[in-house]
Amino acid sequence: MNSRNLIDSELVSLYKVGNEEAFEELVERHKSRVYTSIYLIVKDKYLAEDILQETYIKAVNTIKCGRYNEEGKFLPWIMRIAHNLSVDHFRKSKRFPVVVLENGSGVLNSLEFSEAPYESTHIQQELNTIIRDLIQQLPDSQKEVLIMRHYMGHSFQEIAENTGVSINTALGRMRYALINLRKQMKKYKIAYDQNFYPK
Amino acid sequence: MTKTFTQNDVIRYIYGEIPDDEKLAFENAMICDTELLDLFHELRNVKNQLNLIKKNPRSHVINNILDYSKSLNLHSVKK
Repeated sequence: MNSRNLIDSELVSLYKVGNEEAFEELVERHKSRVYTSIYLIVKDKYLAEDILQETYIKAVNTIKCGRYNEEGKFLPWIMRIAHNLSVDHFRKSKRFPVVVLENGSGVLNSLEFSEAPYESTHIQQELNTIIRDLIQQLPDSQKEVLIMRHYMGHSFQEIAENTGVSINTALGRMRYALINLRKQMKKYKIAYDQNFYPK
Repeated sequence: MTKTFTQNDVIRYIYGEIPDDEKLAFENAMICDTELLDLFHELRNVKNQLNLIKKNPRSHVINNILDYSKSLNLHSVKK
């Protein structure tokens, strides 16, 4: 069986009957999107990894207990779990003092992971850090829509319903978020610099 | 009647949420409206940049998740 050719619902069905390879594919397929969404909310690599584990453990328990609603789609469902857990942690963390560096990252995040050769990824890492910082500088209402639409994959209609605004307001916030990012990227001369983005 | 498109329609178009029956009309409108077209190019560029910042968790985190799932096959899951 080549699980890469299967859609999410087929993988979930296989996983329900004990196919661990199907689950592995589901995790692999969505890990980056789920992790990035969590990271942009909690702003801490290690906490984001903890929440990612918590998210998938909840998903495993729900599916293996037969409580997964087959009518729903897997990605929006797991994104919802991730979002709720991230927001919970974010709220709890506000009760405790946290040491945060000038750029908004936690102390532990100042340490680089050593998974990839430093030289080959250095420029891209710097750029990614700048863009992530720019996202954090957006007004909360714009950042929320940006994360929900771009990384979590919710439709604008769903965002409007979840945040209690009209669809036009959700669209407007997204537009302002992108325009603001564009302005800031110009300041950093990020855009159109093809040296940063090898094709 | 000719439909007037707004900047919010550019967002819907970029994120693939413009209905099929409006898509062609929107693309034609962009050809005639340089402001819409410029905005489309600018925002599409930002969207592409946002795709580049996706992060991945460390591999042991994924292994923990997969191991947890496998471990449940050895025991019955309590509801």
